[in-house]
Amino acid sequence: MRSLSSRLLISVSVLLLFFFGATIAVLDRAFTEAGEQARQDILDGHLVGLLAAAEPDDTGKLVMPARLREPRLERIGSGLYAELRDFDGDVLWRSRSALGLEIPIGTVPDLGNHLFGREELDDGTPLLTLSLTVDWELDNGESQLYVFKVAESLDGFNAQVAGFRRQLFGWFAVVALAMVLAFSMLLRGLLKPLRQIETEITEIEEGDRVSLSGKFPTELTGVARNMNLLIDSERARSDRYRYTLDNLAHSLKTPLAAMRALLHDRHSEGFGNRFNEQIDRMDEIVRYQLRKPAASVADNLVLAPVHVEKEVTRLVDGLRKVYHDKHPEFDVRVEKGLQFRGDTGDFLELAGNLLDNACKWCESKVRISVVPSVGARAIASGMVLTVADDGPGIPPDAADALLQRGMRLDESTPGHGIGLAVVKDIAHSYSGRLSIGASDLGGAEFMVSIPPVSTAKSD
Amino acid sequence: MRLLVIEDDSTLRESLVRKLTESGFAVEQAADGKEGLYFASEYPIDLAIIDLGLPELSGLEIIEKVRADGHTYPILILTARDRWEDKVDGLSAGADDYVVKPFHFEEVSARVNALLRRSGGWASSVLQAGPVTLDMSRQDVMVNETSIDLTSFEYKILEYLMVRAGQVISKAELTDRLYDQDFERDSNVIEVFIGRLRKKLDPENSIKPIETLRGRGYRFALERNQVD
Repeated sequence: MRSLSSRLLISVSVLLLFFFGATIAVLDRAFTEAGEQARQDILDGHLVGLLAAAEPDDTGKLVMPARLREPRLERIGSGLYAELRDFDGDVLWRSRSALGLEIPIGTVPDLGNHLFGREELDDGTPLLTLSLTVDWELDNGESQLYVFKVAESLDGFNAQVAGFRRQLFGWFAVVALAMVLAFSMLLRGLLKPLRQIETEITEIEEGDRVSLSGKFPTELTGVARNMNLLIDSERARSDRYRYTLDNLAHSLKTPLAAMRALLHDRHSEGFGNRFNEQIDRMDEIVRYQLRKPAASVADNLVLAPVHVEKEVTRLVDGLRKVYHDKHPEFDVRVEKGLQFRGDTGDFLELAGNLLDNACKWCESKVRISVVPSVGARAIASGMVLTVADDGPGIPPDAADALLQRGMRLDESTPGHGIGLAVVKDIAHSYSGRLSIGASDLGGAEFMVSIPPVSTAKSD
Repeated sequence: MRLLVIEDDSTLRESLVRKLTESGFAVEQAADGKEGLYFASEYPIDLAIIDLGLPELSGLEIIEKVRADGHTYPILILTARDRWEDKVDGLSAGADDYVVKPFHFEEVSARVNALLRRSGGWASSVLQAGPVTLDMSRQDVMVNETSIDLTSFEYKILEYLMVRAGQVISKAELTDRLYDQDFERDSNVIEVFIGRLRKKLDPENSIKPIETLRGRGYRFALERNQVD
């Protein structure tokens, strides 16, 4: 994608071009029209002069005086020409200035009408013409039609217009260039914080910096803050992975050592069982690590919400198949449309492990309920997930022991409590907690409460 | 009973097939998803054991296709993926149970037996009908509390009929499900075994556990005593 500044510059240039183009067109038109109007007025004046100078001679014909008062009509090739024709088009008189030139006859106006026109001399010189047909009444009472015509070469005028245009374009080009320059400088200033973010991110990548400085304009502080959150959570995540991997690798070493030692007495009684025990232990370790929480709270806001009802239904349907023979009675109490902001896998892990345990221990009844927990200033609601059964239950001191059981692998007893340890881990990663109590069904009740996510936390 | 094992790891597959055969099942095997789907849709199968992570076609896809085609036999998932998300995906796709790798063979065998008897409508692994009791986990048959000594093939026939008590089973189906593929297929052999079975179970010809329906097949005729 093109850079922001080039996109802005291009759009601004297009706008400027359009604006200046329109201005130039308007100015040019106004100038030409005003000029033409002035020319027409002048021609009109000359025509009036001609009419005043015309006198009938003794024969009753109209003649022009030998010298006219307008010097341009007397100077050859001056650019201002005049002629007098009778109505048949025969030239009766032509000004001295038009010597050797043939002024086209053009359109002859009706009696008493002025008619402006644009015509050309033989050599292509453009002319602005004004013709007038008059009915000249003679002394003897007769009258005759005459056509007066004045013409002025437009060469001078056209040169004037061209000069005006040149100036217009020149100045506007200078102004436009200055504006684009000023604008691009402005842009550089405006985009500086963005470039700073880029530089700072590069520095973070190279390890020279821990987080973004936060000294950004208001529009960018949000971006910078979220970026910092992301960086922090990424860092925490990679720390967690490193820790997990380390933990995993080390904890696998003990059973590996035990297996190697066992190989020495592979012919002894019970070798298979003891070897299997070590495999089970390794399996346990790997399983625990694989089922650890997928996300941390910082990531939860970007996750799609979990549709609690749908997932619980899927889970219960699955467990009905698995515990087909035992046929526990499920009582599902989930608020319609309830959503949990978190990872679907994590949610299934919480509900799945607790339900599975309940199915294992129950007499015949299992109950799961999920209700939302909402707080002031919460941007995502939390939930309270309760799973109860009618089994033998768990005595309080045993419950404490279950909850106390370490997250460290070496301490967890093989074969038991992986599910619970996973539930506890996931609850913790959502800042929640797991508690064990007695249910009104007669057995145990496991409760996971996950608090709502509030805005206060992310600041 | 004829089982299908779809598993790409050869060590695991061969060991499973060997142990299942030893337990008295006829077993088909496939090493990838495509081949597996072919067996699963074209062969007469009583139960399929399907690994989820397969080349060519995933186990989940096989299960969905098989179920979409209307096959109802039970499906047991083998999976290395232990998260509930994966288990629930498999179960919703149409599987009936799962075993997580690494597993002990006894675990698989117990699930297989449970699923088979479940598909026949029995709630416990001890099948009781009239005076006849068949314990699937111990492969042991008693009539009126007296243990009956059966050969492995006789036991297989009885188990097959009794799991499906009340249904008519054709001779062809019995040969299909009980013999391994290349075994001699002579329907007279079935008749002979049924005859021996009748004599051993009911020497006085008083309880008549197995009915012959001429031209259609056999039926285990005793009423089930469902124990819950």
